[in-house]
Amino acid sequence: MPQLRRDPLSGRWIIVATERARRPGNFVDVNDGTLEENPQACPLCHPDREPVYAEEDVRIIPSRQYSPESIAVLERRHHGLYDRITGIGIHEIVIETPDHIANMADLDVRQIQHVIRAYAHRFRDLEKNSSLANILVYKNHGPTISHRHIQHTCSHILATPVRPRRVKEKLQEAQKYFEAKKRCLYCDVILQEREDGKRLVLETQHFIAVTPFAARFLFEVWILPKDHHCDFAEGIQDREDDLAGILKGILQKLKEGLDDPAYNLIVQTAPYRRKGDDYKWETLEKDYHWHIEIIPRLTQVAGFEKGTGFYICGIPPEDTAEYLREEETP
Amino acid sequence: MTELRRDLIMGQWVIVHTQDSWAPERYERESRHRERLSTCQFCPGKEFFTPPEIDAIRPEGSAANAPGWRVRVVPNKFPALRIEGNLDERQEGVYTFFNGIGAHEVLIETPVHDKNLAEFTDEEIAHVISKYQSRFTDLRKDKRFKYIVLFRNYGESAGATVGHPHSQIIALPMVPKYVLQELQGAQKYYEEKGRCVYCDILAQEYSDQERIITENEHFIVFCPFAPRYPFECWIFPKKHNADFSAIDDKERYALGRILKDVLSRMKACLNDPPYNYYCHVSPINSKGEDHEPPWCHGGKLDVSHCFHWHIEIIPKLTRTTGFERGTGFYMVRTDPRMAAGYLRAVSSPNSS
Repeated sequence: MPQLRRDPLSGRWIIVATERARRPGNFVDVNDGTLEENPQACPLCHPDREPVYAEEDVRIIPSRQYSPESIAVLERRHHGLYDRITGIGIHEIVIETPDHIANMADLDVRQIQHVIRAYAHRFRDLEKNSSLANILVYKNHGPTISHRHIQHTCSHILATPVRPRRVKEKLQEAQKYFEAKKRCLYCDVILQEREDGKRLVLETQHFIAVTPFAARFLFEVWILPKDHHCDFAEGIQDREDDLAGILKGILQKLKEGLDDPAYNLIVQTAPYRRKGDDYKWETLEKDYHWHIEIIPRLTQVAGFEKGTGFYICGIPPEDTAEYLREEETP
Repeated sequence: MTELRRDLIMGQWVIVHTQDSWAPERYERESRHRERLSTCQFCPGKEFFTPPEIDAIRPEGSAANAPGWRVRVVPNKFPALRIEGNLDERQEGVYTFFNGIGAHEVLIETPVHDKNLAEFTDEEIAHVISKYQSRFTDLRKDKRFKYIVLFRNYGESAGATVGHPHSQIIALPMVPKYVLQELQGAQKYYEEKGRCVYCDILAQEYSDQERIITENEHFIVFCPFAPRYPFECWIFPKKHNADFSAIDDKERYALGRILKDVLSRMKACLNDPPYNYYCHVSPINSKGEDHEPPWCHGGKLDVSHCFHWHIEIIPKLTRTTGFERGTGFYMVRTDPRMAAGYLRAVSSPNSS
């Protein structure tokens, strides 16, 4: 059974897979990447588990790694100084298309819209389980270690009984700003970015895509909804097609402009609001603003960044925005 | 010139190259190039390729910036931060800018191009550590600096761009977010319990035993309970000590021996992996000046009673996924208890 563990110093939670610990030899040559190029052997072309969601050619299946049973035993324990929770919550795989297509950028807008609707559906569904405090929707495109490299576009849903450190930090910073100015930080950012224009990559009726002012990674792009809403699932109602359009636009620009880089996509949204936990929820609806982060993996993270959380960004986001703006896509 | 920028959402700082910025094609993914010995600029006889040396260990009578040195410290030719100038805060709407002021130095650890740090003699590695200390002590005199990061990248995929053994030193005009969170965590623990959290962690590691790899008279190395990376190892002084510069000659040798020991265990166990290590130390000049904003000195943080300086070693075994970058949520596929077991089982040629 995997565990969640809390670092007593930073308050950060991590997942430790205990019984499936890999032998050191298994780490060698991770960069090889096992490519599943043959659709006949692709586990997502032929899922062997019952879907928890099946509509419009989108399927969501429970992951094999963290099975549904793991939710049953969210047992909090401590051992001396150290806290841990047995079980991690729910991990599901969103199969974005029945076709063996590698990159979400190559799906048509309509299909991306169906995928977005599927995310929102699971957001609402999993909220009913009161032991879950947070839900993450994310994508790993390209080789990674934690997931076998499958060349079939998919996303992940991870619902956990704890909130990740960066999610908490984002909430705290937004709340701090709101307390001081009585305005939403993200709304102010959107206003300024639209006015400045220099970090703007794309704009649609309801969304903007920008390279963030203090980007941590090269060509990092955020998609922000112009309408204020803290919650992804509610915020995208009647906006799914517009979001699908801007998302496809950005993914295509990255694919064409940067030679199909590995990238990650993360939906940052308000966590499940549970009574009796340690967070002040009163102003959340006003102070937080859901958004999507897209991070191409172009550079290695070295000792300085790992040790300090301090990132060195080799190209100003104004320049990467310009580069992406000028990248023509079909 | 570079800029320091604060992400006002995360409170996190980044350095942005605003001039001489790299074009996308200059970043190589999966670069395979191995630098040839003949082109290495850190080898003896190539001293003129680096900026003039700041410090060195040399036999008596050998001239600066000439061969003969054993350890050499030079400014980084491509610094992330520049030493001259002031921060000069500027505002643009909701965003805040500062000049990228700081120091960025390279410590060349040996004249021998392909020597592995794990195979240094006790004396050679003690020399490296003594230079860490003297650079730390020297840079601390500059009141603009609030934090000093000592770190080492080994192997291309761990971010090393030069194969010749070296470490780097960066002096920053603020305490970085991740370090600040750690210090504040330690302080909070102290306020609640009246004890140093690191002393308590060491006590528990001793009683649990299962995550300890090895120890000597002054230091202990273990796999932390909640690591960020598989096979992550922490070296801690056994005695409560927040000040890295205060370690004496005996401790310096003991630190060198345990560092070598754990690196050679990793080399044997993990097939000479790329790795990063860095030293977490107390902030410097933390009393702060009145005109300085609280973000730079961390709110005049005094941690002498509640902090241990230490070294964290991270073998590069997995690709960092943006998921971890984006959420601060790390997935570790090896239980640290198991990792410590594998590393313990290696018979280290120089275990103490």
